Amino acid sequence: MRTFSSFLGRQVVTESGRKLGTCHDLRATLGRGRPTVDAIVVGRGGRLEHLGIKPPSSLRRDAVPWEAVVRMDGERIVVRDGTELE
Amino acid sequence: MSTRKIDLGLLLVDHQLLDSEGRRCGNVDELALEGGPGESLEVVAILSGPGTWRRRAGWIGRVAARLGGGGTVRVPWEDVDQVASHVKLRKRADQLGLGRGDDRLRPYIEKIPGADR
Amino acid sequence: MKIFNIALGILAAIGGFVDIGDLVFNVSAGATFGYQLLWVVVIGVVGIIVYSEMCGRVAAVSGKAVFDAVRERLGFRTSLAALISAQVVNLMTLAAEIGGVAICLQLLSGLPYRWLILLAGIALGVIVWVTSFDWIERIFGYGGLCLLVFAVAAVKLHPTWSAVAHGFVPHMETESPLLYAYFAIGLLGAAMTPYEVYFYSSGGVEEQWGPKDLGLNKANAMIGYGLGGFLSFALMIVGGSLFLEKGIQPEFLGSITLGAEVPLGQIGLLLALVGILFAVGGASIDTLFAGAYNLAQYLGWEWGRYRHPSGAPRFTLTWLVLLVLGLGAVMTGVDPVQLTEYAVIFSAVALPLTYVPILLVANDRAYMREYANGRLANVFGLVYLVVIMIVAVTAIPLMILTNVGQN
Repeated sequence: MRTFSSFLGRQVVTESGRKLGTCHDLRATLGRGRPTVDAIVVGRGGRLEHLGIKPPSSLRRDAVPWEAVVRMDGERIVVRDGTELE
Repeated sequence: MSTRKIDLGLLLVDHQLLDSEGRRCGNVDELALEGGPGESLEVVAILSGPGTWRRRAGWIGRVAARLGGGGTVRVPWEDVDQVASHVKLRKRADQLGLGRGDDRLRPYIEKIPGADR
Repeated sequence: MKIFNIALGILAAIGGFVDIGDLVFNVSAGATFGYQLLWVVVIGVVGIIVYSEMCGRVAAVSGKAVFDAVRERLGFRTSLAALISAQVVNLMTLAAEIGGVAICLQLLSGLPYRWLILLAGIALGVIVWVTSFDWIERIFGYGGLCLLVFAVAAVKLHPTWSAVAHGFVPHMETESPLLYAYFAIGLLGAAMTPYEVYFYSSGGVEEQWGPKDLGLNKANAMIGYGLGGFLSFALMIVGGSLFLEKGIQPEFLGSITLGAEVPLGQIGLLLALVGILFAVGGASIDTLFAGAYNLAQYLGWEWGRYRHPSGAPRFTLTWLVLLVLGLGAVMTGVDPVQLTEYAVIFSAVALPLTYVPILLVANDRAYMREYANGRLANVFGLVYLVVIMIVAVTAIPLMILTNVGQN
């Protein structure tokens, strides 16, 4: 069992070491049954977007899809090479 | 039921919990997830209570957790009715083990005349 | 009939606008700088209107009070800092208000101060426990209207009205710019009292305001606080026309009442004392509940002033404990007027922590739907964010540099 807060603050990097950002939230789909995590949110947009100044989430590139995650070790989340923010 | 995407930290964590009767009974302090890299990752339960603060805020969290009694209540996701402005649950607080502080204190408060005016 | 009720509500708001911080800072500012700082009071009054309108709208549309928003929007550590600082400031303010009530009782009755502190605390506790909140608001609100005696006094003191008018234009004619700045900060801090906002927004959630109440919310905020602002002007004008001339620094509540006694005699003195008693007494109840609301909202407990005490046990215990702590603080013999100055300054420092979350939620279309801040609301909202940040950052340095206004 992992906790939500254990994801926060982890560096998100590709296998070859390219830094994509710091995890500061998880994006999930709510609907039937348990929420499923779709993506790791890395952009710093979180607080500011709610000032209504920044564009809505669908237009921002701030997340890494969960399927791209290869492993989680130490203080990092490692994703496949070639993963881009979407 | 339609589906929607939300950012868990913004729209679920730290939000007020309401039981099936609309009674306030704590906050969503933490989420329990199951799964990992290469498989699906799901939220299986909500965790609520001072015990969750330990991991969230370093030494301040540990002190606050001790002051608060250190308990944690686990609410399985199946008991969640809806996630809106507040998080509504399907059962009563006492059935879920929430809001115990109020229940423990109530008998003493009720002794004071005029308490249920 | 509805207009009648609204009018009554506004009257209660006017009577409740002034608290011990306003009394101390407005009269002192007048006694030190004459009418030069009147323009700052205007900024403060507009500020509290902006802040409370936003809080009221957030409460009505999203069902969230201030500390619900703080808990949700700030990170765990920052929100805890916001809670702790708000509670500390609240407690200081509460102690100052209770002390103020005790001083009024002493001036009215001549009984010993220490006993009157205890009496004041117990009386407040009993009144809150036994009386419905509608009646509490009415009694203390209308009683506070006696403070209008200061408006009459201000006119009767025949100030140089052109000088008064000049005071509404930002200017500074003094050799003590630091002291001027200190008073400006204090006036802003005293006008934008956070506990009033916590109380107001929690009340809105409890009364289950909805979008249909938004007009009422705006009216309450603008008219109630706007007119209440006139009382602050009156206090400063009295300070400027009476105290400045005679070189009196109103260090005691008793000296402040001179402002009504000199021009209006014994009746003026009596009305001033009654007005201060009710205004400060009402403020102490608001402050007491604000402290309980904050803690309960932050921790997700059941809360509410309309609930029977047994409906919200931990909330009830919280305000009982806060009352005892506040009483204890005053019993140590600390001077309430001095304590007020510290409370106002520290509340100015902590203000951003509770203002920012409200500004954020007020802009969140997911909760606020079509009632989120429009362009005008955001212009005001952001301008005041800047004002509040400047005030927060300069408050303590100025307090130190001017030796808490003693210079």
